[in-house]
Amino acid sequence: MDTLQHLVSGFAAALSPAYLTYALAGCALGTLIGVLPGLGPAAGTAILIPLTFKLDPTGAIIMLSAIYYGAMYGGTITSVLINVPGEAASVVTCIDGHQMAKQGRGGTALGIAAIGSFVGGIVATVALVVVAPPLAKLALRFGPPEFFALMLFGLCLVSGLAGRSMLAALLMTVLGLLLAMIGIDPVRGAPRFAFDVPDLYDGIGFIPVVMGLFGISEILLAAEAPALAAVRTRLSRLLPSREEWRRSIGAIWRGTGIGFFLGLIPGIGSIVPTFMAYVAEKRLSKTPERFGRGAIEGVAAPESANNAYANAAMIPFLTLGIPSSPTIAVLMGAFIINGITPGPFLFQERPDLVWAVIASFFVGNVILLALNLPLVGLWAKLLEVRFEYLAVGVLLFCLVGAYSLQQSIFDVWVMIAFGVVGYVFRKLELPLAPLVLGLILGSPIEKSLRTSLEMSGGDYSIFLTRPLCVGLLIASSVVLIGSALKLAPKTLREA
Amino acid sequence: MIKALAKVAVSAAALLAACVAVAQQFPERPIQLMVAFPAGGSTDVGARVVASIAEKILGKPMVVINRGGAGGQVGWTEMARQKPDGYYLGYINLPATNTVILDPERKANFGADAFVPIINQVLDPGIVWVRADSPYKTLKDLVDAAKKSPNTIRTATTGILSDDHLAILMLEEAAPGAIFRIVHLAGGADQLKEILGGNVDVAFDNVGSIAPRVRSGELRALAVMDHQRSKFLPDVPTMKEVGYPSVISSSTRGIAAPRGVPPAVLKTLEAALRKAMEDPEHIQKLESAGLAIKIMVGEEYAKYYRETHEQAKKYTEWAKSRAHK
Repeated sequence: MDTLQHLVSGFAAALSPAYLTYALAGCALGTLIGVLPGLGPAAGTAILIPLTFKLDPTGAIIMLSAIYYGAMYGGTITSVLINVPGEAASVVTCIDGHQMAKQGRGGTALGIAAIGSFVGGIVATVALVVVAPPLAKLALRFGPPEFFALMLFGLCLVSGLAGRSMLAALLMTVLGLLLAMIGIDPVRGAPRFAFDVPDLYDGIGFIPVVMGLFGISEILLAAEAPALAAVRTRLSRLLPSREEWRRSIGAIWRGTGIGFFLGLIPGIGSIVPTFMAYVAEKRLSKTPERFGRGAIEGVAAPESANNAYANAAMIPFLTLGIPSSPTIAVLMGAFIINGITPGPFLFQERPDLVWAVIASFFVGNVILLALNLPLVGLWAKLLEVRFEYLAVGVLLFCLVGAYSLQQSIFDVWVMIAFGVVGYVFRKLELPLAPLVLGLILGSPIEKSLRTSLEMSGGDYSIFLTRPLCVGLLIASSVVLIGSALKLAPKTLREA
Repeated sequence: MIKALAKVAVSAAALLAACVAVAQQFPERPIQLMVAFPAGGSTDVGARVVASIAEKILGKPMVVINRGGAGGQVGWTEMARQKPDGYYLGYINLPATNTVILDPERKANFGADAFVPIINQVLDPGIVWVRADSPYKTLKDLVDAAKKSPNTIRTATTGILSDDHLAILMLEEAAPGAIFRIVHLAGGADQLKEILGGNVDVAFDNVGSIAPRVRSGELRALAVMDHQRSKFLPDVPTMKEVGYPSVISSSTRGIAAPRGVPPAVLKTLEAALRKAMEDPEHIQKLESAGLAIKIMVGEEYAKYYRETHEQAKKYTEWAKSRAHK
């Protein structure tokens, strides 16, 4: 009852002309940041903090939050259109989204992404209102051992990312894990495979790698056969067909669920939920062979997961004051600059602010949908640009994006190198997604394993004495054994 | 003879005039202020505030550039290579800068003498904290427990060789027999998560990041590692008050230049930066972010830099030998 009252007054505030304008401006700026590869939501929010100094705290936070989830959506656009993830969480969307664009279904891909993001965002926000505090407390029980088990589970899902050959997928996963070893080891602080180059001490940047693997290699491939690169998108096909709707609805709900629950656990990051949502769809699908060739579920699920995650990640932040991703950490900085400390007391001390911000999440998600659906046609037009011009534009875009990550020319070289690597791998028909998954999971697996062992003083039984952890380990074994059984020896040899 | 003398005098005067002119002209173009951590962190926040005031005093823009990576090593490597003309300054974060230099595995290609400290801005003392319902009500409870059952109390740092890691070693040294089970976490947010989740028992961090939660009663602070109580937490005793006067640890942020900057230029910079840091706007903005200002200039700061380096050297070696076990 009390909650409802607060929410109503929150809506009254969020719908006031001034706050509505801030939310609109934030969504538009966020979408722009998402579209620019390299410039991700964290850096984008940090850069735009000074913009909000002149606003009152509520207005500032409404605008920064809008930038945050706007960026999460904007990243999709470039993934679909030019195979360059605009921000890290949109990597998975490249796989099927860009295939859809090549088939002239780019508009549909962007449309379903906008709808999926909307559902994911709204559902997660409703859950934030209804069940936030108890859930957030529960998620805290997710310590390093549970985190390790969850990441291991993610790694076991790699079998779901395999294309024709399981052996090739495993090979690429190991390669990804090896790449993740580069840099300062998370416990001892000793550099590994860094060859005394300080630029390598933090490891290879994830974003330049995926920009190269997907984006640059795409241009190289297309340059061989420019005629094929020209794509006509029928504008009439912006909304999904009945068949596509049928396929997407389940995917959107499942993606939302996965994104929401993983969003509650601080530290997961925005990429893992999208991968899990994608693999879950592929595994549940009766026609898994469509994945990688433009399956609409392959866009709908990760995009819904992505936005559900983004909104759910606000729960540990608002209720406990724990920033669960780099972007939210920046957002927390904005709270503190404005004299507000997020945490359990925030709901009591500043209910006006909290509920106005929460109401603005609803408003913002509606704005994003309204902003993006009409623009889809415009974005899709981009694909009709002649390849010669588009390729130069995309290359320039990638170069600037890679440099803008941390104003380092080193990242530009990493991107170019991985562009060539990606080209070779795709020529050899080696799947890129397992490599990306290995690269993402490598460091959290290692870090959580070693932190767990630090906690237990080196005793491995810590993984077997915590029920949640045991449950996740059992789930991992089921997935692993399940996929091993499905594998006829013939498939292994087909590599 | 007289002619020659006059010549010398004239050229000496010219030289002097030139020197003065250089000092007076400085700065002629924008000054870069490097922060060895990403945008949005607390070093960055402080840098942007001071730069925005100092540029009005100096009359030329002061541009903050972020060169994050490898716990600051990427930025400091770049800073050590810069031309010492006063147009490239950078933040040094003691003792992080020191441990990067001191850890042989880091293979830093610069030494402690690569930087000339100009002015310190912030000194954020170390603090020991636990959950509000923790059985450790005082630091004595904690130390007694660590003596009674050594190597069982899970104690979080904010990273290997961070000031918090060194502080744990200092406390172990000051309280013989007490051994903590050290768990290296990535930072303050991780500490909070694991403490609230019951996965670690006690955390060593800095006052600035934790003070609001201690004041709200959500967390309990056991001791502050400074010579006097923190003005942000006046109720929390110092280590000296609870019997461990040798445990003094903090994280500081100050501005330095690459070695070799002309003294006149250093003087200009020091004066301008000092004026900027004493500006009410600077004080108000930093304090609202929970950052304790501690201005140290010239020999005072240089001495602090040397002492921190010596102290860090001892504990870095300890930390390393312990990790090898």
